[in-house]
Amino acid sequence: MSRDDITKYLPLTESTYYIMLSLIEPLHGYGVMQKVEEISRGTVRLGPGTLYGVFTTLEKEGLIVKVKEEDRRKSYTLTQKGKDVLYGQIERLEIMTENGLIVRKRL
Amino acid sequence: MAKTIIRKFKWFWAWQDEKEEVWLGEMSRKGYHLISVALPGIYTFAVGEPRDYVYRLNYQPYSKKDRDDYFQLFSDAGWEHIGEIGLWQYFRKEAKPGETPEIFTDVESKVAKYKRLLGYLFIFLVPLWTILIIRLSDNPYSWVAGIKIFILIVGLFLIYAFIRIALRIKQLKRL
Repeated sequence: MSRDDITKYLPLTESTYYIMLSLIEPLHGYGVMQKVEEISRGTVRLGPGTLYGVFTTLEKEGLIVKVKEEDRRKSYTLTQKGKDVLYGQIERLEIMTENGLIVRKRL
Repeated sequence: MAKTIIRKFKWFWAWQDEKEEVWLGEMSRKGYHLISVALPGIYTFAVGEPRDYVYRLNYQPYSKKDRDDYFQLFSDAGWEHIGEIGLWQYFRKEAKPGETPEIFTDVESKVAKYKRLLGYLFIFLVPLWTILIIRLSDNPYSWVAGIKIFILIVGLFLIYAFIRIALRIKQLKRL
């Protein structure tokens, strides 16, 4: 997989980033909503319209895949391509944070 | 106890969905709660206690196999599904004091909703204009010309709708 296949998705929006983080393990939609609110410490809340849209796009792009369906709820998880994209995003965030922490001392 | 039902007629264009959401919320605060939207422009309300409901509309095509999952997600998130017209789905949730529930929590997904609408409008525009282009040499006094004029007017209106929705998207992106 070329570098371009990954970078064309970056940077991810906050919502997409957190959704992908949550899908490191199989989870269904509402599970992702709760997880994201928890791990983002309440800074990112997901509405069902937003979540469904992102799920649909991520699945279409081959970044997540459906793993099971239970009680009318579909569970998804990251594909290898999804993991590569997420890795690329985290690398970008590392650089952003490094820079941010330096400037923060002067704010 | 018999439920009192009232019907109201009000017309909202696709780009006025936010206005429609506000109006439905106002109706609920007066005690009129939406129970059905079977036909465009006709709203059926049940009369009851005033409640602080927030109504939200989504324009979301979904396949048969996604249907259950889609509505289950909204239900899990506390949104009641009231009904659908075409590809528009109506949801409501009771607002807690000081909080307004939303189905879209970022600008990108709000914009995506309007882009979906534009996509479908475009699909309708293309065959309409194709009909017009074919056989331009018709007798201008025949009834076929009349149909073509009708199609032309519909086509122009769709273009107007396209522009209004595109402006809505532009408005959102500025925020």
